[in-house]
Amino acid sequence: MSIEHTQGHEHESHAAHDEDHDHKPTGFMNRWLFTTNHKDIGTLYLVFALLMFFIGGAMAMVIRAELFMPGLQLVEPDFFNQMTTMHALIMVFGAVMPAWVGFANWMIPLMIGAPDMALPRMNNWSFWILPFAFAMLLSTLLMDSGGPAAGWTLYPPLSLQGGQSFAFVVFAVHMMGISSIMGSINVIATILNMRAPGMTLLKMPLFVWTWLITAFLLIAVMPVLAGAVTMLLTDHFFGTSFFNAAGGGDPVMFQHIFWFFGHPEVYIMILPAFGVVSEIIPTFARKPLFGYTAMVYATASIAFLSFIVWAHHMFTVGMPLTGELYFMYATMLIAVPTGVKVFNWVSTMWQGSMTFETPMLFAIGFVVLFTIGGLSGLMLAITAADLQYHDTYFVVAHFHYVLVPGSVFALMAGAYYWLPKWTGHMYSEKWGKIHFWLSAISVNILFFPQHYLGLAGMPRRIPDYSTQFADFNMISSIGGFIFGASQLVFVGVIVHCVYKSRQAATGRVWEGAKGLEWTLPSPPPYHSFNTPPVIDSTTVAHAGEAH
Amino acid sequence: METVDRDEIAARRHRAVKTAWVLGAIAALIFVLFILSGVMKS
Repeated sequence: MSIEHTQGHEHESHAAHDEDHDHKPTGFMNRWLFTTNHKDIGTLYLVFALLMFFIGGAMAMVIRAELFMPGLQLVEPDFFNQMTTMHALIMVFGAVMPAWVGFANWMIPLMIGAPDMALPRMNNWSFWILPFAFAMLLSTLLMDSGGPAAGWTLYPPLSLQGGQSFAFVVFAVHMMGISSIMGSINVIATILNMRAPGMTLLKMPLFVWTWLITAFLLIAVMPVLAGAVTMLLTDHFFGTSFFNAAGGGDPVMFQHIFWFFGHPEVYIMILPAFGVVSEIIPTFARKPLFGYTAMVYATASIAFLSFIVWAHHMFTVGMPLTGELYFMYATMLIAVPTGVKVFNWVSTMWQGSMTFETPMLFAIGFVVLFTIGGLSGLMLAITAADLQYHDTYFVVAHFHYVLVPGSVFALMAGAYYWLPKWTGHMYSEKWGKIHFWLSAISVNILFFPQHYLGLAGMPRRIPDYSTQFADFNMISSIGGFIFGASQLVFVGVIVHCVYKSRQAATGRVWEGAKGLEWTLPSPPPYHSFNTPPVIDSTTVAHAGEAH
Repeated sequence: METVDRDEIAARRHRAVKTAWVLGAIAALIFVLFILSGVMKS
């Protein structure tokens, strides 16, 4: 048991210094609508992301219910297509990305000893754009022409065959992009300008490093997506022919532009996950992170490589052999820095004094299952093999392994890890572990059979299928229903922790935790680090690691 | 505990705003260039 009940007071002086600054605004509107406080905005992001996780999850349940048996059971094929499209858009832009921004808001100022984000009013704006963007996106489901149904990739010409609601989709994507870019600007401005004296770049916690690199990725690629959907908009409504072959345009060009955004987008969702796991494993292994500097360089390498591999998503469109070879080898190169990371996490655990609280379980689950997703990605990188796998359920299995037991498990791990810090209460370890085991087992029942479906030739994005695929689809759907239901346990644990838990959390919470956030009491004061903290070996997470 | 004087805080805020403008301009430039590249091609 690593929960520390008696310690955590060694740095109470920081808290004492922040005494009497806990002036929370009064009234719901002042506290939440007009807030410029990084902790409140972080909470808003996290609550919003959880809500979107359940809306997107409900759509996944519709998809899995329809695919439970061959034949058309529950929904019309067009509505099924709307569900697959909206599920992806909501999970990517509404759940995973805002959840990471919520973590960034809560933790980056606490981890670098800053009093708040650098641009607090822009921070408020970044968040409050999102509910309007998603209200607009979801409202398309109620319109005559229905929601977007061409897949989250919005490939023309299919996406241009939608109705008037397409304009709402494009505007919603623009708003999400503006929100992400403003959030990223804030993260970079904060990290580069607001660090406590002595907190050099190579003393920053890994989570801060991964977010700094993620923020640069976002600024580089979100405008590309905005440009692409703007051109779709003008093609649809203003008679241009950027991607309309009949007017001299090039639909394949859209695919290049989209994936120039889309591949880095994958790393935008996974790099902060690497950061969280790199915080949690050393804490519960009670050892400094193995190879801190290598982890920083590996993160930067992955980010760089993400810009030069986009066409591996579109091998089947036909490209010169040299192009295929280049994109195949460049993609495989990503396995090197990713392998460094997995090796370093395992080495951190090696001969560590490990305990297995819920955050550690989710972190280990992440390492094992994300690696499965990474390996199937390597299979997809082989051009000749990809021609067979392309647009099958093998691809669906691959990216869900990367994103669900990958990114989402890391979000769960981080939530359990910092929940006592945020709320001042311990969550129920028993129910946390039940949540983990239900999720870990059901997520494999859900996604592993999809590898076999894909290899057997079942295409993606279809509401009906040949009877030869029936058994694996039924197993997958059962796994999906259990996984969906088990997330209700997560909500129960959070609600209990916030409102009912009687076990107070100490400042440091976990015995092996190091870093500035643990020097504050739990919950931290509303305004923290108004006076910068001293940076020494007790506050640097990777102290003892030579670099 | 180390203190940061008011001038330093003001300078940091100034640098943060400058950083934000530079990054915002880069984002806007990428957006415009992508649209323009499409316009030029067609």
